[in-house]
Amino acid sequence: MAVVPAVAHRPPFLARKRTRQAVLVWCFLAPSLAIFLLYRIIPLLWNVALSFANWSPLRTMRWAGVDQYEEMLHDDVFWQALWNTLLFIASAPVGIVIALGLALLVSSEIRGRDIYRTIIFISYPLMTVAVAIIWRWLFDERVGLINYVARSFHLVDRPIQFLNSFVWALPSVIVANIWQMLGFYMIILLTGLQNIPPSLYEAAAIDGANARRRFWRITVPLLKPSLFLCIVIGMLNSFTSFDLVYVMTGGGPGRATELLVTYIYKLGFSQTRFDYAAAVTIVFFVLLVAIAWMANRLSGGNAGAVETD
Amino acid sequence: MKRRTVLQAALAGAAALAVPHASRAQTSRKLSYLTWNIADQEQLFKEEFADFRSANPGVEIEWLDKKGTELPAFYQTQLVAGTAPDVVDLQGAIWVEYAANGGLLDLTPYLKKEPEVAKLFNPDYLASWQYQGKNYMLPFYIAKTLLYYNKTLFKEAELSAPPQTFDELLTYATKMAKGEKTGFLTLNFDWLYWPLFKMNGIELLTPDMKKAAFNTPQMATVLERLAKATDSGAINKISWTGRWVEPNGAFAGNTVGMLHAHSSSYFFVKGQGSWINENTLGVAQAPGYWATPTNHGFGISKSTKNPDLAWAFIKHVTGTKWATRFSQSRKLLTGNVAADRAGLEYLRKDDPLGAQVLQTQLEHTDKFTGNWPLPFDAQLKDAFYPEIQNAVLGRKSAKAALTDAERAVNRVLSRNT
Repeated sequence: MAVVPAVAHRPPFLARKRTRQAVLVWCFLAPSLAIFLLYRIIPLLWNVALSFANWSPLRTMRWAGVDQYEEMLHDDVFWQALWNTLLFIASAPVGIVIALGLALLVSSEIRGRDIYRTIIFISYPLMTVAVAIIWRWLFDERVGLINYVARSFHLVDRPIQFLNSFVWALPSVIVANIWQMLGFYMIILLTGLQNIPPSLYEAAAIDGANARRRFWRITVPLLKPSLFLCIVIGMLNSFTSFDLVYVMTGGGPGRATELLVTYIYKLGFSQTRFDYAAAVTIVFFVLLVAIAWMANRLSGGNAGAVETD
Repeated sequence: MKRRTVLQAALAGAAALAVPHASRAQTSRKLSYLTWNIADQEQLFKEEFADFRSANPGVEIEWLDKKGTELPAFYQTQLVAGTAPDVVDLQGAIWVEYAANGGLLDLTPYLKKEPEVAKLFNPDYLASWQYQGKNYMLPFYIAKTLLYYNKTLFKEAELSAPPQTFDELLTYATKMAKGEKTGFLTLNFDWLYWPLFKMNGIELLTPDMKKAAFNTPQMATVLERLAKATDSGAINKISWTGRWVEPNGAFAGNTVGMLHAHSSSYFFVKGQGSWINENTLGVAQAPGYWATPTNHGFGISKSTKNPDLAWAFIKHVTGTKWATRFSQSRKLLTGNVAADRAGLEYLRKDDPLGAQVLQTQLEHTDKFTGNWPLPFDAQLKDAFYPEIQNAVLGRKSAKAALTDAERAVNRVLSRNT
């Protein structure tokens, strides 16, 4: 009697092990994905749509084509805000250089270096609004400490109107921003410094390299990943410094400290021009993506990738 | 089996959470009331609400207070959501945009039905809230610009009385400017600086409000004079760069001869300046009696489910009884004629100088300026003022600044009209 081979019985789709595993994974991912979709993707898509329309909270939407983008070309305030934003971003390396100096100091064998590290770092966890208020008082023309010291040492005859001056306002805000970020940069760079093998310095010293050569030939190249991390975070932070600027100067005097992010807020909530604000946001977003892409390319091209052997 | 049970339980739990809550049956007699940065009046408001509830049993009143920087954004999002507070306190010209776009209820039918309500108020102030012939708000509290002057600095400069013309204003400012002292300061938020131009016969817009009208030789001359005075120190630079606190603070520092500001500044300046008393601070109208009003009014959101109740409420809080209490409590004027009379009498005993300041707010109310009923007022300000600032601070010539301002203003007008 011939043996009839048993027909392989495939379980139903939902009963299969791989299907059940996939469903389980999606169930766990679903809440986070839902939040991401609701608070990131949908608003982004709505923003894109709004930038091509005429709309306000009290009016129905009408298609406007590229009118909002065309408006940008003629908007002096937009260009001023863009320029200020780029200057703000360009100030990040200044803070990093200062932080590198501080990191080198506190990584050396000096007494009380732990206390110094703590004091320098303490600015970072502070709320940005608190930082802005502190620096507003420091820069105040009548009761500010900076003017008081400057006048006490006869450095100036009259108090300097830091935050009311077209010349000094933006640098003043940048100083406050750098001060706040110094602690963060220092910690990142300190970690990088501590990962450099001391044997490299010993070998270089034996070979006759002086301190400057050791710094430029050993320290800087090996700190590159930390430096790039600081640069990227510094630039992203500069991009989104709404609270610091809003509290310190409100974007003034005139538009001297207006950033794209504060301008977008004012367009939306002071002028009720949500449609135009959406268009400026798109430009802002494109700029942000461009900078992040550039930073990624400069740092090797695979930032954030999980590397497998 | 166990895993399936866990999954089913998790899905059931998620579904239970996702089911919308059964909406609370909203009391049909609930009123929400939004005010602009006046939380210090909590005790008075509680008494007002209790009084209103005794006349309207079963009414719940929900009171929200927001700071000036937060209120517009909050109110707009509520308007979009259709959950705008029933009664809203709005400052300046922001109400026009909401009224023009159907966010506020037209109160004209109510005022026509109850003409005695309109008679309670100063007609010039009440007219501040008219748009296209319709009235959208009732006065909550009112103020307009005036000229404060430092009598001590006036005496030092051998000046006996406040200036009566623009020329005198600049001349006096120049005389008082020595060293750290400056002669004149003005607030510049909203259109508070506009009387300086109006007193020179300058108009911002054409009568039909469709085109800019300020780019004239006279305006260029005025700007050049203001720029020269700012450069020489006769006018304090903070006039053009500061917001509210800095200019008032500078005047409180006893180094500025004259301050062009609204009545609210008096209490701030008095609090900061120990030098201030009846012998050292004078008050007057600005030259030509021109003044920019900065008022707060009560409006009713169009989305309200209880328009008649909301109307009853704003009548209640702006009525003579509670307006008087408010005027006395906060030392300001309410636009309610009888309440303001009582409030002034009360203040005269306690702070005669304060009463003098408030008295100026009731004079020459036919000379309001800088209060155009335009829905896009914020855009217009943003288009106009930065160029004026450039001119008075010497960053651009008056001619170039006016050309750029005219272009920007006409752009705003063509976009919106």
